[in-house]
Amino acid sequence: MGRTPRQHDRARGAVKRGLLLAFVWVVLTAGARDGLILGLAVVPAATWLSLHLLPYGGAVRLWRLAALLPGFLARSLVGGLDVAWRAFHPRMPLAPGWMERASRLPDGGRVALGGELSLMPGTLAAGSRGGRIILHVLDTTQDNAATITREEARLAALAAPEGRS
Amino acid sequence: MLELATDALTVALTAAGLVFFLAGTVGLIRFPDTFSRLHALTKADNLGLGFIVLGLALQAESWHAVFKLGLIWALALVAAGTAAQLVARTALRADEGGRPTRQAEGRE
Repeated sequence: MGRTPRQHDRARGAVKRGLLLAFVWVVLTAGARDGLILGLAVVPAATWLSLHLLPYGGAVRLWRLAALLPGFLARSLVGGLDVAWRAFHPRMPLAPGWMERASRLPDGGRVALGGELSLMPGTLAAGSRGGRIILHVLDTTQDNAATITREEARLAALAAPEGRS
Repeated sequence: MLELATDALTVALTAAGLVFFLAGTVGLIRFPDTFSRLHALTKADNLGLGFIVLGLALQAESWHAVFKLGLIWALALVAAGTAAQLVARTALRADEGGRPTRQAEGRE
């Protein structure tokens, strides 16, 4: 009672963040009992620092992230195989080049997209300029634009409100 | 018998991991420029670590150890993606000689 929905969301965000970090703490201490006592101090401190560095800004839904994981792993496997094949090939088939792409994602989203694209086959983010992502591509003959569009749509869906996909 | 199969799988997975680490290093040495080399390092080493983590997870004695290995891989993944972007951005700026019109990266 008396709490605005916004505050309610923020509190929920803080609790979720705290639970996640508590889980990480239990993993790191292997569930040791004396570790749990120290965790009572460490987890709240880490949660505070985490919220300070990255304020709660709308729910990124963990289950949506989990749903994206298999596809991401498969495509980063393709990315690794692709670059390994090019590295070992005697003639080293490369056709490097540059691309620029406008992105509707906010700042943090662009960084995440850049990090993800750097693990996908043939693309590497090299910062952004005026809202446009600068990308280095390993092979200009492959369809790099499709890769970018696909990854951007996936990340955008991750942060979208419930009910919209 | 099951133990033998698990051990064999561990050997296969960690061996695959080593091949990817080797590929990353070969790419680092052979590829022609900073940016292409970054592709090799980021993508191949990420897979190398992933396969080694998988292989070791099969030998883990507790669920904590499995999650800890997973955490190591996830953190290395995020670090690799971030570091690759930072190196590429800095190298690009250096290539362009820091011309004033080009210094707005990541500001908007």
